[in-house]
Amino acid sequence: MKKLSFLFSCLVLFLSGCSMRVFNPISETARDQSFLILFSFFLMMIVLVVVFVMFARFMWKYRETEENKHTIPEDEEGNKAFELTWTILPIILLIVLAVPTVRMTYDMSAEVTSNPANAVHIEVTAQQFSWTFTYEGGVQTINNVTLPKDRPVVFHLNSKDVIHSFWIPRLGGKRDVMPGENRRLIVTPEETGTYQGKCAEFCGVDHAKMRFTTEVKSQQAYQQWLNEEKKEME
Amino acid sequence: MIADLFGRKFYMASDTIGAWVMLTLTAILGIILITRAKKWPIIREYATTTHHRKIGVLYLLSATLFFMRAGIEALIIRIQLAFPDNNFWVFQGEKFNEAFTTHGTIMIFFVAMPLLIGLMNVAVPLQIGAQDMAFPYLNAVSFWLFLAGALLVNMSFFMTASPNAGWTLYAPLSTDTYTPSAGNDYYIFGIQVSGIGTILAAINMIVTIVRHRAPGMTLMKMPLFPWSTLITSFLILIAFPVLTIALYILMFDRFFGTSFFSGPEGDPIYWQHLFWIFGHPEVYIIILPAFGIFSDIISTFSKKRVFGYGSMVVALAIIGLLGFMVWVHHMFTVGLGALVNTFFAVTTMLIAVPTGIKIFNWLFTMRKGVIRFSTPMLFAAGFIPTFVMGGVTGVMLSAAAADLQYHDTYFVVAHFHYVIIGGTVLGAFAGIYYWFPKMFGITLNETLGKLHFWLFLIGFHITFFPQHFAGLNGMPRRVYTYTAEDNVFVFNFVSTLGAFLMGIGTAVFVWNIYKSFKKPQKAGDDPWNGRTLEWSVPSPAPEHPFENTPQVVSHDPVWEAKLHRDGELPKASESRTAPIDVVSWQPVMLGSLMLFFSLAFIYHVTWLQVTLGIAVLGFFVVRALTDEHTKKAKEDQAHDNV
Repeated sequence: MKKLSFLFSCLVLFLSGCSMRVFNPISETARDQSFLILFSFFLMMIVLVVVFVMFARFMWKYRETEENKHTIPEDEEGNKAFELTWTILPIILLIVLAVPTVRMTYDMSAEVTSNPANAVHIEVTAQQFSWTFTYEGGVQTINNVTLPKDRPVVFHLNSKDVIHSFWIPRLGGKRDVMPGENRRLIVTPEETGTYQGKCAEFCGVDHAKMRFTTEVKSQQAYQQWLNEEKKEME
Repeated sequence: MIADLFGRKFYMASDTIGAWVMLTLTAILGIILITRAKKWPIIREYATTTHHRKIGVLYLLSATLFFMRAGIEALIIRIQLAFPDNNFWVFQGEKFNEAFTTHGTIMIFFVAMPLLIGLMNVAVPLQIGAQDMAFPYLNAVSFWLFLAGALLVNMSFFMTASPNAGWTLYAPLSTDTYTPSAGNDYYIFGIQVSGIGTILAAINMIVTIVRHRAPGMTLMKMPLFPWSTLITSFLILIAFPVLTIALYILMFDRFFGTSFFSGPEGDPIYWQHLFWIFGHPEVYIIILPAFGIFSDIISTFSKKRVFGYGSMVVALAIIGLLGFMVWVHHMFTVGLGALVNTFFAVTTMLIAVPTGIKIFNWLFTMRKGVIRFSTPMLFAAGFIPTFVMGGVTGVMLSAAAADLQYHDTYFVVAHFHYVIIGGTVLGAFAGIYYWFPKMFGITLNETLGKLHFWLFLIGFHITFFPQHFAGLNGMPRRVYTYTAEDNVFVFNFVSTLGAFLMGIGTAVFVWNIYKSFKKPQKAGDDPWNGRTLEWSVPSPAPEHPFENTPQVVSHDPVWEAKLHRDGELPKASESRTAPIDVVSWQPVMLGSLMLFFSLAFIYHVTWLQVTLGIAVLGFFVVRALTDEHTKKAKEDQAHDNV
């Protein structure tokens, strides 16, 4: 009974996962990653269920009782057919998982060198413990980045001191920010709204506070915002 | 509070003062209790011993102490994270970072490893029918070097200079530019000194297993715990020197102004490669011996031989081999390119195959057996579902594209706690309950053992299951606080409750050891109806356990003897030479010298470095001029002439 209620609460926890940031993607990259996570999860559930069912059954069926206390079980060395089964089936399962993994990993790594048309270029400078965003035209914001909807954004990442990691969970996976090197991350936000951004690589005392907000605006509103910022600069 | 030491000013925080007070009180209490119980001779006996069983006990004892220290750190971390924007005591920012750094470092290097190396020392020589380890003196040196390193890292907190760059010590954060305090020097020297001890222990294990098996025990008749020990020792021999090199050049960066990991010529990625080329094999170093322990325990308590013995050995070897080909899966977000990432994603997935083979073989060992649920078997049974959960999240993590989301979040934290606690820690507990009779001649209390198991296992799942979701909801690792908008409060709060349950479980374990010594339940030579050679010798195992060298004719020789020979092992016609046990203060002194030698470096006292360096080298000279074998031969001759 205790176990049942525990399992039930786990299930409730899992179903509430629908509201989790990683499963609420607002870009194609994050959607692919979300799919891959769920896909691998359900593949692995097959393994988990098989092992759990066998485990529970053997535990229960072959436990020591008053009757069998003094019996000596029959000696068996092993079984070639069984061994082959649980070698080959997992390999097939892993191939099923490896195909989309390899494809997506190639896509996501290839985008680093691509140059999408009509892109917005933003310089991201990370330093202990803040993010500086520089837009085309020299506008600078700190710990707050504004993006247009439906246009590819190229983040040019570099660090002034130690390694940081640039992460907007709902926009997709993270990319490390290395000192003295330029890394790029390309995403196309598809929904307006305000999203969390974080440093994911431990970078010192206030790593926990090194966060920024991401605002996605319609293209018109973005242009308007950029013009206002430029005016303020002058 | 400000203190002056070595010409430096030290500021002391309230937690450090509290720790000093507790340490002093514990030390005084300990000295009073030992004196009143007249136990000093036993302390001396253990400090000067070179006997494998006693050294194993020393390893286990120190590991348990450090387990409690790092466990308290874990509880501190959990209290600080129980509520959003929480301010618990002094543990925000720097103090919190130090807490998770030393928690990780101590748990990996000074808890997981010595627990397993201790059990190897206790059980492996007995399981293969050896009289002792191949090099008893070296064995003692290994232990005292390990302890010296462990004390260094544990000391750092009391010296208000804890390591603070995470246990992975990523450059450039770990270079003197960003962490100038002595903390990371303590880490470097502590791991370096205990690493030498670990490498020596590995060499010792390899030679023991290769040279000292009982006649007739071919490698393919050896129990699986010695097998896993052999493979683990090779992994240590290959992986640890890489760590030694990495720490060595980091030391140069910190002390002597080189720039391996920064500047125009250096690159922080070098550190990550070196660290993980060691670090990934390291996780197999701490899981394979646990696999070996579980194999022996499941076989004993199911009254059946291990199912598919041959494929179990092959699976161990393949896991060991693949362990060296997956290190980049810790670095998927670095951006090393598509080919590298996919290659390492696929090799990582491959590890699931031999691990799966082992899981199914354990299940089929139990099938058609008669399963008795004593405490060691409970831990083995708890291990299977727990470890499989950790294993499947491991496969999920291996998908490189998805790992860009998981990486450096609480999902990863949950995964590695599932495999390390679900594998290594449960394995060590199982092994301690299982071989306790061989160490002390008494069994641990079964009721308390079962209570310990259930509290610890349920607490464990409550602690780490919710962390998967915290990670998927965007909570990064190594943060000391979060906000209410992050929506991870519930997961963290539940996690904190579970951590306290685990703490209570561990307290029950320590209480159990105390109670069992207070009211000893004498164990016979063979309390579990065992199958392998260690159950044919007296409990506790004497200095020369095997009166007659046994001739091994099958797997599970003791079981075979019970079935067909009325419990009498066949005697071997030839005998193996026994290593010579000595009583010596030298290993302890060498260990302490290395400790002060390291301190001289950490605090840059040149004359002390030179003096102690010469003293350490002096030990090599003394040892090279000592010839125990000739001495023993002379003694024996004199003895015969009387």
